[in-house]
Amino acid sequence: MESATVSVGHDHADHHHGPPEANQSSRIDRQTLGILLFIVSEVMLFGAFFASYFFLRVVVNPATWPPEPYELPVAVAGMNTAILVSSSFTIHYALESIRRGNRAGLKLGLVATWLLGATFLFIQINEYVHLGFSARDLSFGSIFYSLTGLHGAHVFVGLMLLTFATIRAFRGHFGPKAEDHLGVEVPGIYWHFVDIMWIIVYVTVYIL
Amino acid sequence: MSLNEAAVFKWVVIVGVAAALIIAVTLLTRPLVGALLGLVIVIAGCIYAYRWIEQKRH
Repeated sequence: MESATVSVGHDHADHHHGPPEANQSSRIDRQTLGILLFIVSEVMLFGAFFASYFFLRVVVNPATWPPEPYELPVAVAGMNTAILVSSSFTIHYALESIRRGNRAGLKLGLVATWLLGATFLFIQINEYVHLGFSARDLSFGSIFYSLTGLHGAHVFVGLMLLTFATIRAFRGHFGPKAEDHLGVEVPGIYWHFVDIMWIIVYVTVYIL
Repeated sequence: MSLNEAAVFKWVVIVGVAAALIIAVTLLTRPLVGALLGLVIVIAGCIYAYRWIEQKRH
């Protein structure tokens, strides 16, 4: 009886090394859940910056917004918005292509997205150079550069992710099955988030 | 509705259309009207999201 108990104890020890396996949802994979939780934290970060923006604009309540003599290039930023929104369509095209097994479409979509993203960043830096005010000029300058700069940093990170995905695509990685193209799916979700945030930043800062 | 890139892309289109509406109203009227419309859209979106989550829970 005693020996049987000892034997069962040994079996138990053989099959359970380390902590128990983590539960995995059947509805969402870990990578996608990770990027969604990351995006939730990013929304809170942007929320803090928007709160500062509205505080300065509504509570401080200057006579004009933007304060005289500053002006914002609404048309140029609008064109830049169109460029960034277009890049969401191209990354979606890339993912739809790989879902159908079209590798050429994947590469084309990723390269187009990267080029559109880089163009957006280039135009934004060019805008900073020609604006005529800096982050030191009034609270308006500070919050303008903080909000648009925070977003620009996110575009830069997105471009890095897209660079890795594009290199992998040209090396023959990724396949039609969902688990075989997570390396494009996750940067794609992040890129859409960056696009949505820019639409909100553009409407808030340049239009309203 | 599954949680993947296609679902998030749908939100890009929804936010884009809402933004275009706000921009049009703002340019045709005053920024305050556009801001109020934006607020209404955000509140409607929150109500929709809450109902969607409740529906998923039960």
